[in-house]
Amino acid sequence: MRNPIAAIAFLALIGPASAAPDIELGRYLARECVTCHRSATATSTIPSIFGMAETTFAVVVKAYRDKQLGNDVMQSIAERLKDDEIDALAAYFARTKQP
Amino acid sequence: MIELTRRNFTLLAGASLSTLFAPAVLGQGKPKLVVIGGGPGGGTVARYVNKDLNGAIDVTLIEPQKNFTTCFFSNVHLGGYRSFQSITHNYNKMRKEGVRVIHEAAASIDRDKKQVVLAGGKRIPYDRLVVAPGIDIKFDSVPGYSEAASLIMPHAWKPGPQTQLLVKKLNALKDGDTIVMIAPPNPYRCPPGPYERISMFAHVLKNKGHKKSKIIVLDPKPAFSKQALFLEGWEKHYPGMIEWQDPKMHGGIKGIDAKAGVIKTDLADYKAALANVIPAQMAGKIARDANLADASGFCPIDPETMKSKMDTNIFVIGDACIPGDMPKSAFSANSQAKVAAMVIGGELGNARTFPARYANTCWSLIETDDDVKVGGTYEPGDGKIKQVTTFISQKGEAADLRKQNYKESVDWYASIVADVFG
Repeated sequence: MRNPIAAIAFLALIGPASAAPDIELGRYLARECVTCHRSATATSTIPSIFGMAETTFAVVVKAYRDKQLGNDVMQSIAERLKDDEIDALAAYFARTKQP
Repeated sequence: MIELTRRNFTLLAGASLSTLFAPAVLGQGKPKLVVIGGGPGGGTVARYVNKDLNGAIDVTLIEPQKNFTTCFFSNVHLGGYRSFQSITHNYNKMRKEGVRVIHEAAASIDRDKKQVVLAGGKRIPYDRLVVAPGIDIKFDSVPGYSEAASLIMPHAWKPGPQTQLLVKKLNALKDGDTIVMIAPPNPYRCPPGPYERISMFAHVLKNKGHKKSKIIVLDPKPAFSKQALFLEGWEKHYPGMIEWQDPKMHGGIKGIDAKAGVIKTDLADYKAALANVIPAQMAGKIARDANLADASGFCPIDPETMKSKMDTNIFVIGDACIPGDMPKSAFSANSQAKVAAMVIGGELGNARTFPARYANTCWSLIETDDDVKVGGTYEPGDGKIKQVTTFISQKGEAADLRKQNYKESVDWYASIVADVFG
C-alpha cells in the first residue's frame, strides 16, 4: 500500500476490534476450561467446546457473562473474562482438537 | 543505536534464537523438574510441563502408589453409586507421554544440594521441585485416637484402604445402630466433604430400610460449608436420622476409646457401631520436614507463582499449601498446578508467562439426583490467593437443576482425572 493515508485509513477500518486474537493467551486460559470440558462427549451435560466456531464460542460465553444463560459455574467463570480473553479462548478452541 | 545492517540483523536473530532455546538453568543436559506426589496437583503439573515444553525439560514424578484412588468421589463410592475401581487410576498414560514415574516414597528433600532423597537412598537432582504430598492426619488432635485406632474407627480422609474399611463397616450396620462422626476443625481437605459423607451414610441406611438408626455429627466448628443446603437436604430426605451438634451443644469432644467403641463429649458418651473420626490435618510430612511449613502446619506460597515462601526453587501446590481464599480440594490443586506449570515453563524453558488465575468448584451429593455446588474464581491480591467471583446453590432449588448438578459432577470427574493422569 503506497499511499500512507490509505494505509492509515485501512488500519483504522480494521481497527482494534479486528486485532488478531492472542492464541497463546487462549491456550493458557483454556486450561481452566478443560478441567471440566476435556472429556466431554455428545451426551454429556458439560458440552464439548473443542472445534467450536469462534463466533459461537464468544456469543455463548458472553451470554453467560451477562447472565442470559443459566449455569452458576459458567457465569462465575465468564464473569471475570474480558472481551479480548474471550476472543483468545474462542480462537484457541476453534483451532484445537479434543485430546 | 545499532544500525540494522544485514550482518547485524543475522547476529541479533541468532542471539534471540539461542536465547529462546537455551535452558534457563545452567548445567549439563536438560533442566530437571521433579514432582513429589502423584495426586491431582502433582499429576497435573508433571503432565503439563512435559507437554508444554515438548520434552525439553526432564520431568520426574515420585509417587509410591502404582494405583491412586481419588479422595474426591470417594463419598459417591461410599454411597454405592460408583465402584472403587472407577475412582482408581494409574500412571501408564503419563509415562507413555514422557513423564518419568518413580514408584517409591520420597524420604526427604536436600534443599542445599537441590536433590530429593528416595526411601531407598537414591538421590534425584532437580532445578525446580514441586511438592504436592497432600495432607497428613494429626492423630493426637483427638485424645485417644491414633493410627492403630484408625483401623477400628477409620478416618477415611486419605483414600484407599481407609475408604474400603469405612464402606465395609457401613454396610455391616444393623437397624438401630448409631454412627458417630467427629468432624475436623478448619483448615482441612474438602470443606463440604464430611457433610456429603454424612449424607451418603444416611442414603445407605435409608436404602437398607433402617428405621431406628441414628447418625450423630460432633463438630468442633460452629458452622460448616453449604450448611443451610445440607440441613435442608437432611430434613427432606432423612428426617429424624441425623443430629448435628456444634460445640455449644456437645460442650467439647473429650476423646475416644476405640476398643470400647465410645466417643466422649462434655454432654454425653456415645457408643457407636461405626465411628468415623476425622482429626485435624497438616501438610504431608516431607514438606514439614523440609521446613516448607509454618506454625500452622501448612506451607505458605507466593500467590503469583505457587512458589514456596521458604525456597524459590520449590513450589507447593494442593492440600499442603496455604491457598488463601481457595478451599483445599482436587479442583484447587489442579488449578494451582497449572499456574506452577506455567511459571516453571517460563523459568526452565523460556516459555511465555501470564498472570496467575485460579478456579474451583465443589459438588456435593445429598441424595440420589440431589446435588449442590459451591465455587469461585481467584487471583493474587492482598498477598494471598483472593476470591474474585463466587456462587453457591440456593435452598429450595428445582429437582431437575439438582439432578443436572450431579450429572455435571460426573462429567467433571471424567475430565479432571484425564487432566491429572492422562
